[in-house]
Amino acid sequence: MQQMNRRFFLRNGALAVAGTTAIPSFLVRSVMAQTLTAPNRRLVVIFQRGAADGLNIVVPYREKNYYSMRPSIAIPQNQVLDLDGFFGLHPSLSSFKPLFDQGHLAVVHAVGSPDMSRSHFDAQDYMESGTPGLKSTQDGWLNRALQSEDIRCDCSHTPFRAVALGADVPRTLAGSIPAIALSNLNSFAIGGRGPAPSPAANAFEAMYGDSGDRIFHPAGEETFGAVKMLRAANPGQYTPSSGANYPNSEFGNNMKQIAQLLKANLGVEAAFTDVSGWDTHQNQGSVNGQLSNRLKDFSDSIGAFWRDLGDSAANVTLVTMSEFGRTARENGTGGTDHGHANAMFVLGGEVKGGKVYGRWPGLDNEQLNEGRDLALTTDYREVLGEVVSSTLGASNLDLVFPGAGIAPNNFLRLV
Amino acid sequence: MQLLQKSLAAFLCFSLTSVPGWPQSTSASAKQLANTTRPSNKPRPEYQSGQLQGDARILHALNRFTFGPRPGDVGVVRSIGLDLWFEQQLHPASLDLTDLNARLGEFPAMQWNPEDLLFRIPSNAIIRQVINGKLQVPDRGALHAVYENQIYRVAEKKQEQAQKKVAELNKPAAMNSGTSTQSEAGMNPNPMSKAPSPMQASNETPNGMGPMNVAAGQPALAAPPAPAAPQFDQTEINLFLNLPPQQRLVRLASMRQPEFDEFFKALKPPQRAALDTGLTPDQREVVGALENPERLVVEELAAQRLTRDIYSTAQLQEVMTDFWLNHFNVFLHKNETTPYYLVSFERDVVRPLALGKFEDLLEATAHSPAMLLYLDNSESTGPDSPAAERAEIANARKPGNQKKARQGLNENYARELMELHTLGVNGGYTQADVTQVARILTGWTVERPERGGGFEFDPNRHEPGTKKALGEKFKDHGEQEGRDLLHFLATRPATAQFISRKIAIRFVSDDPPQSLIDRMAKTYLSSGGDISAVLKALYHSPEFWSTSVYRAKVKTPIEYVVSAVRASDANIDNLRPIANELRTLGMPLYGCVPPTGYNWKASDWVSTGALVDRMNFALSLAANRLPGITSSWTPQADDSAGTILAIDDVTAESEESRLESLLVAGGISDSTRSAVLQQFQQQSAQLPQGASTQQIAAQKRPSLGAQASALERQDQVLAGLLLGSPEFQRR
Repeated sequence: MQQMNRRFFLRNGALAVAGTTAIPSFLVRSVMAQTLTAPNRRLVVIFQRGAADGLNIVVPYREKNYYSMRPSIAIPQNQVLDLDGFFGLHPSLSSFKPLFDQGHLAVVHAVGSPDMSRSHFDAQDYMESGTPGLKSTQDGWLNRALQSEDIRCDCSHTPFRAVALGADVPRTLAGSIPAIALSNLNSFAIGGRGPAPSPAANAFEAMYGDSGDRIFHPAGEETFGAVKMLRAANPGQYTPSSGANYPNSEFGNNMKQIAQLLKANLGVEAAFTDVSGWDTHQNQGSVNGQLSNRLKDFSDSIGAFWRDLGDSAANVTLVTMSEFGRTARENGTGGTDHGHANAMFVLGGEVKGGKVYGRWPGLDNEQLNEGRDLALTTDYREVLGEVVSSTLGASNLDLVFPGAGIAPNNFLRLV
Repeated sequence: MQLLQKSLAAFLCFSLTSVPGWPQSTSASAKQLANTTRPSNKPRPEYQSGQLQGDARILHALNRFTFGPRPGDVGVVRSIGLDLWFEQQLHPASLDLTDLNARLGEFPAMQWNPEDLLFRIPSNAIIRQVINGKLQVPDRGALHAVYENQIYRVAEKKQEQAQKKVAELNKPAAMNSGTSTQSEAGMNPNPMSKAPSPMQASNETPNGMGPMNVAAGQPALAAPPAPAAPQFDQTEINLFLNLPPQQRLVRLASMRQPEFDEFFKALKPPQRAALDTGLTPDQREVVGALENPERLVVEELAAQRLTRDIYSTAQLQEVMTDFWLNHFNVFLHKNETTPYYLVSFERDVVRPLALGKFEDLLEATAHSPAMLLYLDNSESTGPDSPAAERAEIANARKPGNQKKARQGLNENYARELMELHTLGVNGGYTQADVTQVARILTGWTVERPERGGGFEFDPNRHEPGTKKALGEKFKDHGEQEGRDLLHFLATRPATAQFISRKIAIRFVSDDPPQSLIDRMAKTYLSSGGDISAVLKALYHSPEFWSTSVYRAKVKTPIEYVVSAVRASDANIDNLRPIANELRTLGMPLYGCVPPTGYNWKASDWVSTGALVDRMNFALSLAANRLPGITSSWTPQADDSAGTILAIDDVTAESEESRLESLLVAGGISDSTRSAVLQQFQQQSAQLPQGASTQQIAAQKRPSLGAQASALERQDQVLAGLLLGSPEFQRR
């Protein structure tokens, strides 16, 4: 079985194609026809864009200073969903509580990127590229994790190996492993949905297939291969598992589609989606309000996703992150400004949940980062390194996170 | 911290508002333009080889400086010459905008100021003010009806939310069971909750909450009637639609709720469109306001923008307006008032200054409510300001549980002003600078933002004292500190580089040569930050005309969609499908959430999903499947024989060639052409035995609006394939 081996870079206009072979359609059919061995474990990555307020998400409710620093937005002690006697979840994360209690959900706190940038743009870029502080990195950590997996495994892959739910392939998945961005599985066809491709689709396929355009030829090839595969999986007929009630929001819909893809035996190994609206500079609310609404959508969508997977959940791992946290003190407008360390969630069948990992630095004034933010005690790459090595079998962590010195003895042992 | 140019350093200690020594920009009058001697589309001798020539040169200019050529554009530019054409584009006042203005007449509300807009087409925030007794319901006819309609809807929504809350509280102690099923499984113990009218359900809930009680202590509102939802059948609807326009309007304005909403729910889209026939633009706006005020503003904002992008002859001005709206990004849904402020932001701030001095534009954005609210500067208060002191004193008197946090600084705008608007992220500023700049800008706020008020400098919020930022001292001087700061930022070499690079990325290539950027930055600095001068420098640069950058840029969604519509010369009654397509392609208008704005490189827009969407759009556009947008590919003549093309000459090749030159003027590759031709021939092969292309063309064609002839259908597919080709994806 010939490995679909396109080296397709997607960065900064330096789009280059090396070693492309025009894949004849019969070959695509044969990949579809084969019984695919579902990848052992799958990884779902969720990026909260805008710097989510970790201190109000996983609340250190025993910290006195938490309450004096946040007089109007702190979560009252009697309203948090207690986790371990020191930390509690924001009450809107009610969907997470049972997952924590059942041992599937782990929390890591005071974690994040060591880079001190408080620019959304830069910090997201750094976090997604996996090389904080370095602007020259072209690809993303998840793409490199898949590359690392390839070093050990000469496996065949489908166009859906790396999937992003959304309009564009994110930085996280940019790189030599081809990734597909999908915003809606159902409308993933050209010139009309139906059991067979439309005549226009065939014409386009020929056009792009024979094109010498160094961007659109490979892009087109990938597109048509993927369309065919997805058609065969019949996404129009999908019903979530009983009890999985996804919120009718963009994020909810994305999580539902990820579940669909995972269950449809399309060869998805890594899936990504993002959710925005976390940049609560003003009026963020406490138990209720802006942040609370975001968190309800966030946890209900992930909760539904977990339920929807059913038995498949055993070999799925889901991890969340945000580019940085927010200031420990509230600002002058009922919100918080850009901070530093944050909280991450790790959910999965193999996860040793029910615990809050990481060393808690404290919130006394002298314990804060630059006197204003939660200090960092765990590099987020240690968490992701552990996750990708156990999930994707990515062994070469220096490839995935160059320069970080991530090694198994750094792991928090949460998987 | 970047080095200051020595020539500028001397001036900085004195007044920062006027910098002697910068050349005055001269604007050529229309007369001067007309006096250019000959059409010159020939490259000057000093240009190197490997430079675009002739029609390729013209096409390149059209592709880069406009939203895409319309049929005939190349010929027009050829006749007047590229240089003159470009000069005209730099001086939109010299252009004939009659056609555009006629089209913009469809959106009279788009000429209003924010306060009027908010009042006449009320946002939900305005309605809540009315419900809370802070604003009077207008008693004038149609406007009164608009308010009544919306009051009903807002009150109804509040009720639904209140009911939900009650339902949540009534849940048994399985609150933490996690799944959302339980909230769905009818936890509301009230069996009446399925009654059609919200009033009835609310009366049954334990707390007896209704819209009246939700807003406790409010002045009495007329209790909405509690009828069963009226049903509208098709006969009734058709009768209504057949009423003369004036009567229709009067009837709509006098419909009470919930009858009004039920009526609109019952309308199918063609019927909703029919409701507007015969109405003047003002009247259409009244209907839109009766139906959904906030949506009317958002839709018209997008519609006028797209109208300009598609139809304006002042294309470069529209391209630069788009550029600056992206550079000075303001997200549409920051809050309910943002769309209202965006109308003015685009019309009064950005467009008039898009081709002028960057500093003027910067200052105007810094004074705009849209920007101050979007980036939270309107709330920012100096920690030692009079307002903060007063609040602290008042706070100290309050009991512990009612204490408020000390009013303070909001750094959001200060940071983005430097990172995104001027210096760029590497422009040499520190976190300390951000804080100091935030202090300088305290007091830059908006007067009564809930009513659409304008800029106001509030000295009470302003942080006192000298601020040290970016190596400069800004003495305590009220609003002037901020002006001085903006002037300082606008004149930095880092700003010149940052802006020039962004312009070069948009107009030249994803990775423009540094030599070009340096030249543009130099022009920026020597011209006092004159954007037209920078564009001229670009226009006169060999790098711009290099054959290596011909079609080098991949079209972003706005460029793709608008260029397709322009090339097709479509007749447009409804711009909603275009706005929707932009959302599908990931570039909704005014829809970029973070202040960074959209990126303009291929890597951000080329993906499998995007290609599928673009191809589908091309096919739909060409086949007239986008409601309200029609193109005609097969030329019709008025002669009674009903035949048009010289029948003997119609072949697959000739049709393809004709459409190709119409749509993808620069030509396509052989592989594209053969794929397109093969498709055309396959379609012909499916026709009844013996029918040739010629014979089909010869058939009498029914008028457009009835079924398209077979040739028209074939042409639609051809056009769709061409508009979805790799060549058309580029500019």
